[in-house]
Amino acid sequence: MKEKKNTESASQESFLHGNTSKASLAPCLHGNTISRALAVHLRAGKLLAGISPRFFTVMTLYAVVDALAPYAAVFFSAQILKELALLRRADVLWRWVTACVACTGAFAVLKSFLYQREETLFDDLYGRKEILFAKKMFSMDYADMDKQETHDLREQIRESENWSSWGMMRVPQVYEYGLKSITGIAGGIALTVSLFTSPVPASAGWLTALNSPLFIFLLAALMVVVSLLAGVCNVKSISYWSSASEDATFGNRLFGFFGFIGLKKDRGTDIRIYNQQNLVSAYWGKNRSFSGDGVMAKLAMGPMGIYSGLGTCISVLITGSIYVFTCLKAWAGAFDVGSITQYVGAATAMTESIFNLTALLGILKTNAGYLDTTFRFLDIPNAMYQGSLTTEKRSDRQYDVEFRNVSFKYPGSELWALKDVSIRFRVGRRLAIVGENGSGKTTFIKLLCRLYDPQEGQILLNGIDIRKYNYRDYMNIFSVVFQDFQLLSQPLGSNVAGSASYDEEKVRRALTDAGFGDRLETMPDGLNTQLYKDFTENGVEISGGEAQKIAIARALYKDAPFIILDEPTAALDPIAEAEIYGKFDEIAGDKTAIYISHRLSSCKFCDEIAVFDEGRIVQRGTHEELVADEAGKYHELWSAQAQYYTE
Amino acid sequence: MNEKSKPKYTVPQNVWWMVKIAWKTRKRVLVFCVLTAALEILYNLSQLYIAPEILRRVEEHAGMETLLGTILFFTAALFVTLGLKDYIVQNTMFPRVDVRSVIIGMIGYKCNTTSFPNTLDADFIKLRDKAHTACDNNREATELIWQTITLLLQNAGGLVIYLTILSHLDLTLMAAVVVTCVVGFLIARCSDNWMFAHREAEEVYYAKKKYIRGRSESVEMAKDIRIFGLQQWLSELLDNVHDVYLDFRLKAERVRLLSDITEAVMTAARNGIAYVYLIHMALAEGLSVSEFLLYFTAVTGFTEWVMGILQQAEKLHKQSLDISCVREFLEYPEPFRFEGGKPIPAADGYELKLEHVSFRYPGAEEDTIRGLNLTVHPGEKLAVVGLNGAGKSTLIRLLCGLFDPTEGRVLLNGADIREFNRREYYDLFSAVFQEFSILDVTVAENIAQTSTQIDHDKVRDCVEKAGLTKTIAELPDGLDTHVGREVYLDGVLFSGGQTQRLMLARALYKDAPILLLDEPTAALDPIAENDIYLKYNSMTAGKTSVFISHRLASTRFCDRIIFIADGRVAEEGTHESLLAMGGAYAKLFEVQSRYYQEGKEF
Repeated sequence: MKEKKNTESASQESFLHGNTSKASLAPCLHGNTISRALAVHLRAGKLLAGISPRFFTVMTLYAVVDALAPYAAVFFSAQILKELALLRRADVLWRWVTACVACTGAFAVLKSFLYQREETLFDDLYGRKEILFAKKMFSMDYADMDKQETHDLREQIRESENWSSWGMMRVPQVYEYGLKSITGIAGGIALTVSLFTSPVPASAGWLTALNSPLFIFLLAALMVVVSLLAGVCNVKSISYWSSASEDATFGNRLFGFFGFIGLKKDRGTDIRIYNQQNLVSAYWGKNRSFSGDGVMAKLAMGPMGIYSGLGTCISVLITGSIYVFTCLKAWAGAFDVGSITQYVGAATAMTESIFNLTALLGILKTNAGYLDTTFRFLDIPNAMYQGSLTTEKRSDRQYDVEFRNVSFKYPGSELWALKDVSIRFRVGRRLAIVGENGSGKTTFIKLLCRLYDPQEGQILLNGIDIRKYNYRDYMNIFSVVFQDFQLLSQPLGSNVAGSASYDEEKVRRALTDAGFGDRLETMPDGLNTQLYKDFTENGVEISGGEAQKIAIARALYKDAPFIILDEPTAALDPIAEAEIYGKFDEIAGDKTAIYISHRLSSCKFCDEIAVFDEGRIVQRGTHEELVADEAGKYHELWSAQAQYYTE
Repeated sequence: MNEKSKPKYTVPQNVWWMVKIAWKTRKRVLVFCVLTAALEILYNLSQLYIAPEILRRVEEHAGMETLLGTILFFTAALFVTLGLKDYIVQNTMFPRVDVRSVIIGMIGYKCNTTSFPNTLDADFIKLRDKAHTACDNNREATELIWQTITLLLQNAGGLVIYLTILSHLDLTLMAAVVVTCVVGFLIARCSDNWMFAHREAEEVYYAKKKYIRGRSESVEMAKDIRIFGLQQWLSELLDNVHDVYLDFRLKAERVRLLSDITEAVMTAARNGIAYVYLIHMALAEGLSVSEFLLYFTAVTGFTEWVMGILQQAEKLHKQSLDISCVREFLEYPEPFRFEGGKPIPAADGYELKLEHVSFRYPGAEEDTIRGLNLTVHPGEKLAVVGLNGAGKSTLIRLLCGLFDPTEGRVLLNGADIREFNRREYYDLFSAVFQEFSILDVTVAENIAQTSTQIDHDKVRDCVEKAGLTKTIAELPDGLDTHVGREVYLDGVLFSGGQTQRLMLARALYKDAPILLLDEPTAALDPIAENDIYLKYNSMTAGKTSVFISHRLASTRFCDRIIFIADGRVAEEGTHESLLAMGGAYAKLFEVQSRYYQEGKEF
């Protein structure tokens, strides 16, 4: 198999591995496994061909040219040797030499062109196939996105590719390999036909037995049997790797974490004050999976190495047999010594093709398993997109949302994150949601924005279950600034608008409203200023507080009927916090606003406060009402903070 | 930095350095190099002679036994050399990984223990990254060098043997062959150099692709993507980064193609020359077919040895540059004292004093701390408040010796801290910083910061004080549960608040005489925050402590508050005296407490 070509794939995950991607092979494949394996490869192939049809065209040409090139060399040099062996005519010799040099040279040049183009397109496709996964990730239901299982599956696909390039990108290689082998075998047959058809003259006595067509089958059978045997040996040898793969990936994780911990900037202070080097080196020393005295090294000294060596050198048996057969025929006078080189050369090249073809069957079968995993990921259904009702655009913003006895648990969790929550949002009003960590505040927002669907109860928009609406449409009525909001290292303006092109005026207004106006003046390229340095070096680093303002501007730009702020002031200092608070009412305008905060001081703005405790709404009312109830949760939360400010 | 300047060490010095490490770590590495080269030469010779020798027997019409014997001999030779070669290749990786691991360990030690300012030094970072790259995987210099050395041995050995085989051919033929090799090699080197010069550009493309993909697939981003419908934008960005990369790749293709085609032409020329010369010889001197075949194959093989030496020498040179970076990094000068130094005085309490201290970050245009004077008395509870960017965290780093002042001195009980061994000085501090390092080891190990001699009772006591007992009790393996998922897949992921408590427990376990807390409650809810405040007194009993917060309310239980603005102590006093002063502190407090006052309107 071709070496892994792409430098990009040499990620940190695979630092310790050798190129262990030796062909594995299972000699006794059942017909149906082969056809199933072929089917899944075909599916993946079509997907890839859809991304880059040019790649497959170029690869086909390259494979054919590459497979035929060695036979051209064998043929022409044999012609020269034949002439030397018999007649030694100078003019004929020069003609063959010219033809030989010209033809092999032309093949080499053509091959270079095709090879380089194929490499380019392969690298391109290697990157672009990742788009499939990225798109799947951002279009699947949030509930799936949030599942560890999904990420494990994705990680498994990625690791298989990094570890030994199994998966999608094996498909073009399988195709190339198959095509080369078949072309190679055809070329080999063409150059060896005369080996069998040139008879040993009757004068050679018992050696005329070599004329029997039986030898064709004997030699063919030998090639197949030996190639299968070599396959068995290789599979045996490789199997030790897979038996150790779990240990190996653990070793790699240990290696990746403790070997490179000093690169992580945030760790610098603790590492020194707590002298963490001690712990780091203790764990670093546990990484023995690839060590010279580790299990794998012992196996390599023993059966793994022996099987591998045997699998490689066994092919020499074929070379030897071909020499015996060809030389005996030549010795008996069937043809000249020049022809020997042609037959031996062609048969050797053909043997390689047969070896590759049998190895391919094993690869096909193994890779089918990896492709199944790949498709298990790509085929995750998008259940939330099934609603069809459109939410009508209402200028009066009369979107009436109601929670009716809603209960919810996170997938895989036993505990109710929300229990029997009923609440109706009053259009255009301000609602504050307060509660301790883990009381269900953020979960409540996630359900409201339909990132999750509840297990019990209903959420209604204008009286209709929100599951019946078109998902995108429903999303359009919410603007949320999450606690862990994210911006992209892209232009400021695009971040606010959430798209590459945008209404500049509107973006400016949103930024000014969010309190970013002054800072905008100092941005080197205004709205085109790149945020952060992740994407380009010219990016501008912004503080947490500034980022938060941009996130708020993004929510304003969307101009949705609901605006939800999840702890929007956590990263701000008191002055900035006061600024946002002071503006909040104005910012929200005629929108329905929901405000989550640890700092209860913010609640005093709001028309109503809902207090969450252990997944339930335990209190509702205005600040004055709630703070008056001294036995209530709200009073407890309030006092904890206010005691430091009230004299 | 020193891309153009000469590397500190030469090729032989670096090879010797690697050989010494290998000798100490695994001698097998060196044995395998020699063995592989020898087997490779033997295998090559069997291949060279098999066809001509067998052909000669047929040509001479030697006896059947001789013919079959020759075939058997060469088949056996090929069988053995090929098998052994592969067997050894299977074994080479493991000891080599050990050698590379030793070097990574050395680099890791340097990274983790180097003077803190080095970690912000651009030159240091650049060297560090180069050093790490040189050990990143088994295709990098610190492991690949063994392959290069093997190939050099093998090519040099092969060259000598082939020279004797070809010794009675014309020297001009050999010279012509060498010329074609050198031309091909030089063009290939141009192309490699182009690729190398554009390597950084290529890395940038990879980084961009990786960034956009990573963001598209990240869980953190997932909510925003859905709520704000960012899918369209991301799709455009994804296509875009790949289009731009393809453009670059097509440019690179042209350069590579040039070298490929030169190689093809040179090979054709070489074959042409060899054919012409040998056919002349055959026609004039009656060279037999088998001799013709032997010489032709030998000429081709000869070029491979020459090419091999040129290529591997070039590779060795490049690898030596990388290894030189590793060594320069390991020898990077340390501004702090880590060897020797005065012993830390034993004392009941420690006084820390900043004397006219100014501090400027490397490359910054202004001082972050300006002429600051401050004494932290033994046993004092000091609070430091101020707006974001006022220099609070920098002040703490100066106190605990992570930075040395640009001007002025930091004194511990009257002695400049630069006189002490810095590692021992760090032992004086228990700290909770805003940025932190929790390791993927067990909870107990994270608290005790050791994997041996953990005092479990003390760990449990600290866990209790930090309010983590309930959380830990719910973990499958309690204190022995691993933290984080990067190494142990069954590790626990702590929330921000839980992490902060874990750090607090760690600080308590260390039980050092000076406690530094930089916003230790930012991620906690009000009740939890209050809980920590209430415990603060007992935690700091008998210790000197410095507490940073931008939540002014939390500073009231301290003996003294200093208000930092523009890198100076702007105001200081108790909460009450500062309020009475009516300055910046009072104003800030007013803004924050406004919302907590009853009966006020907005």
